[in-house]
Parts: sequence; structure tokens; C-alpha cells
Amino acid sequence: MNYTFTLRTVFPYLGGLVAAAEMTLTLSVLAILISLVIGAAVAVMRRSRLRVVRFAGAAYVEVMRNTPLLVTLYIVYFAAPAIGIRLSSFTAALLGLSLNAAGYMAEIIRAGLIAVPGGQFEAATAQGMTMGQMFRHIIFPQVFRTIYAPLGNQFIAVILASSLASAVAVEEVTSWMETVGANSFRFFETFVVAAVVYVVLCQTINLARLQIGRMLFRQPEARR
Amino acid sequence: MTGSLVFLPLFIKATGTTIWLSWLALLIGAVGGFLIALLRTSRLWPLRVIALLYTEAFRSVPILIVLFFAYFGVPVMLGFDVSPFVAATFALALHASANMSEVVRAGIESVGRGQWEAALASGMRMREVMRHIVAPQALRVILPPSVGVYITVLKESSLASIIGYFELTRTGLLVRETQGGGFGPLLALAAIYFLLSYGISLCGAALERHYAIGGATTSTDAVVGGMA
Amino acid sequence: MSDAPILELADVVKRFGSRTILDGISLSVAPREIVCIVGPSGTGKSTLLRCVNGLEDIQGGEIRFEQTRVEARAKSIKAVRMRIGMIFQQFNLYPHLTALQNVMLAPVVVHGEDRKIVEERARALFEKVRLSPRINAYPAQLSGGEQQRVAIARALAANPHLLMFDEATSALDPETVGDVLAVMRDLAVEGRTMLVVTHEIRFAADVGTRMVFMDQGKIVEDANPREMLAHPKTERARQFFSSIRG
Ligand SMILES: Nc1ncnc2c1ncn2[C@@H]1O[C@H](COP(=O)(O)OP(=O)(O)OP(=O)(O)O)[C@@H](O)[C@H]1O
Ligand SMILES: [Mg+2]
Repeated sequence: MNYTFTLRTVFPYLGGLVAAAEMTLTLSVLAILISLVIGAAVAVMRRSRLRVVRFAGAAYVEVMRNTPLLVTLYIVYFAAPAIGIRLSSFTAALLGLSLNAAGYMAEIIRAGLIAVPGGQFEAATAQGMTMGQMFRHIIFPQVFRTIYAPLGNQFIAVILASSLASAVAVEEVTSWMETVGANSFRFFETFVVAAVVYVVLCQTINLARLQIGRMLFRQPEARR
Repeated sequence: MTGSLVFLPLFIKATGTTIWLSWLALLIGAVGGFLIALLRTSRLWPLRVIALLYTEAFRSVPILIVLFFAYFGVPVMLGFDVSPFVAATFALALHASANMSEVVRAGIESVGRGQWEAALASGMRMREVMRHIVAPQALRVILPPSVGVYITVLKESSLASIIGYFELTRTGLLVRETQGGGFGPLLALAAIYFLLSYGISLCGAALERHYAIGGATTSTDAVVGGMA
Repeated sequence: MSDAPILELADVVKRFGSRTILDGISLSVAPREIVCIVGPSGTGKSTLLRCVNGLEDIQGGEIRFEQTRVEARAKSIKAVRMRIGMIFQQFNLYPHLTALQNVMLAPVVVHGEDRKIVEERARALFEKVRLSPRINAYPAQLSGGEQQRVAIARALAANPHLLMFDEATSALDPETVGDVLAVMRDLAVEGRTMLVVTHEIRFAADVGTRMVFMDQGKIVEDANPREMLAHPKTERARQFFSSIRG
């Protein structure tokens, strides 16, 4: 009961913390980008004319949303060597995280696509636009607007989820807390420091999202 | 493949452990979440601030570091041993209470003040108003997203394996080791989690449809959020 | 009537699954004609317009626009669409672009025209539809009638040879209908070729050079508007006109 909270005890480990925070951020940013690509593909699959393709898209989403991320990570981590591919801890964690996040991302993008009225596709087609022109000038700007806020939430969710990468030996913030805590027995201090890092990362993204959103979407909403 | 059938009883037992752990954490989290929701909707602003900080903190910190702290940190600090089970229940329940408080708050706020006034004016007593007017309406808003909270707890309970608790995931890893590698047992794990979680989410969707008659229900994802 | 037809439909058949929506439509439109298409709801009027610019494919017959065969899935469809302006009942303006940007987008992006020249033309078009002060507003800030006039300017910006209106005033408040009809009248006076699906019988009688009455996927009557209104040849047309006159 005579434990005293002394932050000084973790000072020697702060260098490692910076590297760890960089790892957390790198992992999260890459996972968001990759899951955006996979998620977009899955969302488009769910609008296909072919039933099989629609089903495959829906199945992907449900499987990813209904299995624990940790299990996905282990499967990627252990399955790759079993089929003869060598993956580093980082690559395995990134892949598992991205595949899992893509399940949620697909739903976000799907909702964004549904929000574009059918008349928009018609008007653009009637004006002679190609698929590419329609996507670039009509669909993307509208979808981006609707998915912008959920995208920010998803970014935060991925940062928190990236803590599980410590389970497959990636040296990010959570594994920093675990190893430094075990070496120094200062678990309270390492916990507080790690928590602060996560809170700062999440709140920075939150604020940045609001600020950037204000700059991007300045046009007024009201009718007349 | 017939060899792996030997492990079937082990998987069944471990599934039971996972269900037990997740339900216990959900129940504790629901009680805690209810209390925090009362603070959130309190008339005293310091209570509202405390409740807000609590929910915001647990929504911007990964549950895994809470788990590590509970398991490794608390014994060092307080000088008594914490079993993996207790640490896992504690961490899961904390996170669930933060999620649950948001769900309950939405439920409470969905019942307008006018309802209270109308019911009291018609001569009902407080308890009767709560029972006949507020509870049924709030429940309709609370129940469907609670299913989402549970699914999150269920998936998060897999983290208990990291501190050595023998629930489903840990068992799957053990079976994998005794088999000398491969990923069959991991796929079995994924399949079991999927059946549990998807089955429950179907129930949740049915609930949502059942309660959707009139009045707004909040969307599960919007309130619960998060990946696990 | 010596002009070669700008648009020719020969025995066009359109099916959705097993339902036949257009059942052998033949129609020829000469330059400067203003053809008003009328008929009961669900008869296939919108579908007919959509087939003309290949928004729908057809299962039988042939559509020719300025000598080009219209095929929904062919490469040539783009050139056809670039020469046909379409105005929709629901306006379908692009909500993330201002009125001016809505008008300029296709000429710049699809036709590859110079931005400066397009902008000049666009400003003149806003003058024509009497919306110059609202040029920088977003669609959400415009009334229905204003949005529809922007949509007309947008269609005109591509210098189309044919304008198609699909119930352009049906989604409007009564007090703004007149503004849109006035613009359409101006276009008729200019000598534009127009294919107009409408329930505004008065407009059709005043402005139309021809009236086509459709029912159940077929053209039942095709005549001068005043003549058809005064002496419908078929019982179905008689019933329809008396029903919409109330
Ligand atoms: N994509 C589609 N799939 C199946 N059926 C369709 C489709 N589009 C239109 N239809 C059907 O074709 C028929 C004709 O529709 P259309 O919209 O052309 O009628 P309309 O004459 O324009 O009617 P209104 O005056 O109500 O606009 C309707 O019965 C409609 O249900
Ligand atoms: Mg129509």
C-alpha cells in the first residue's frame, strides 16, 4: 500500500515511447488507407447486379464484424507461414488490422453510396459522362461528404484497435507499457503515460477532423 | 481431421467460459452504465462532467492497457494478487459500462419531459410513472443497441487470453500448439465466435424491428462504435 | 416538312423482365418541332425519353438520332448524349456544386471546352433563364422553380440539338410553375427541337406543334394539339382529356 506515483521512474524509457507512438500511428494510418481501398471494393460488390457477388460482399462484412480482431490477427500471423509466406510481425498486424477494419469501412462507404440519389447517376449519364468522370466529379465528392464524420470515428477505432498488435510482437505503445512496466515495476506510471498518449492521439484526430471539416464544407445547408 | 474431434469437449467447455465471462462483464457494466447515465442526466453539473470524463476516457483508451494495468499493476500497487479472471472481468466491465452509459442515456433522453408531466398530472405516483410510462419507452430504445454492446464485450473477452486466462481464444492457441502448428484450430475459433456473435446480432436485428413501431430507435453502430 | 428527321423511332419495344412497357413505338421528329407527349401515368412516357438517350436499352426496333443508331451499350452513345439535353422532374442538380458550376461541368469535362468560353456562355444562359443574381447559390439554397431553371441552363450549356423534358413542372409549387413554363416558351420561340412529356395541357396546346397521346405502351393518337384536344379520335383519349380537365 506504500506505492508512490513517481513519473520520473519512466523518464529513461521515453525515447522508446516516441518510437512506439510512431509505430502506433504508422500502423493506424496505413491500416486506414488499406481498409479504405478494400472497404470501397466490398461496398461496390454489395451493389453488384450478380447475387453471388453481393452475397460475397455481405459475407465479408459479417465475418469481419463478428469475429474478434485478435483471432483475425492470429490467423494472419500463423497462417501465412503455414502456406509458405514469411510475414514480419508488422506486416501481419497491418494486414489483420486492415482486413478487420475493412469490414466496418465497407459499411460506412455503403451508407455513403446509398445517400447519393439515383437521379445523380442518371443526370451525369445523360450528360455523356464516362464512369470515371461521373465518379470523380459527381459521386466521390458527395460520398466523401457523408462518410467524412464516420471516417474520423473509424480512425480513432483503428488507433485503439492497433493496441492488439502487441499480441503479435509489434512494438507499439501498448507493448511499450507492458515491457517497461515489467522491467521497472512501475505499472501505474506506464499505464498513465500510455493512456495519455492514446488520449492525445484520439483527441488530436477529433479536433483535426472538426477543423478540416469546417474548411472543406463551408457551403451553407439551408434552403432559401 | 478426425483427430481434432478429441478437442471438441475442450472447445465446448471454453465456449462456456467465454460466454460466462462476457455475460458477467456485461451485467456489471450494465449496472455501472446505468448509474453513470443517471449522473450524465443529473441536474448538478459537476456530476455531469465526471460522467462525461469517465465515458470519454474509456472511449479513447484501448481496453488492453486497462487489462494490463489491472492484471500487472494493481498487485504491485496494492499488494494483493489479481487473478486473470478478475482482471479480465474488471477491464471488460469498465469498458462496457462506458458504452452502456451512452445507450442508457439515449434511452432516458428519448422520453420527453412532457411525458413525465402528463403522467404526474393524471395522478400517477413517481414509481408508477417510471414503471408504466418511462421504462417501457426507454427499454425500447435501450434494448437493441445493448445487443451491440454485448457483441463488443464478447469479442473483447478474447483479450483475456493475452494475460493467460483459459477462455476460448487461449484454448484454441493451446490446441494449436499441441497439434504442432497449423491454423485449423484458429479457424475453428473464428467459426465459434462468428456463430455466437452473428446469432446474437440477428436477435438484435429482430428486436430492433420489433420495437421500431413508432418512435425513434438509435442505431447500434452509432452509439456503441469501436472495433474489437 | 422537307427537313430530314432529327430523331426517328421505328417499332421500338422495351421490356422490363416479362412486362412490355413500350409496345412498338414509331415516331419521327423533324428539326424545330415541339412534340408534346401526354397520357396516363405508367404508360411509358418517361421510359420512352430514357430510351432515346440510352439510359435504357431496347429489346426491339430501332432508334436513330441524327443518323446515329442509339445503342445504350455502344461507344457511340456518348456522342448522342452530348447532343441531347435532358431535364428531369426532380431537377437532379449536383448538390455539391454551385448553380454556375452545375452548368459549366459537362461542357468543360465531357466536351473538353475552354473554361473561359464556357463561363461566358453560362452567364448568358443564366440571363436567359432569368437567374443571374442566383448564379453562385447552391441547389439547396434555391426554390424548386429556380432549381429547374438552372437544370434547363445546364442542359442548354452543351448546345444540344434536341431538348427532352420529363414532367419538368410536376414537382413544383404552383406559383413557380409559370416561371419554368415561360422559359420553355422562350426556347420554343427560338426554334429549338423539343420532346416534352407534360401534364400541362394548356402549355401543350399553346406551344406544341404536335401532340402525341400514349396509352399502355402504344401511341394512340398523333396530331396537331388543338385539333386533338377539340376532336379526340379515340374513346381513351377523350376520357383522358376530360379526366385531367377535372
Ligand atoms: N427500372 C424499371 N424496372 C421495372 N419496371 C419499370 C422500370 N422503370 C419503369 N418501370 C415500369 O414501366 C412502366 C412505365 O413507367 P414510366 O415511368 O415510363 O411511366 P410514365 O408514363 O412516365 O408515368 P408517369 O406519368 O407516372 O411518370 C411503369 O409501370 C413502371 O412501373
Ligand atoms: Mg414519368
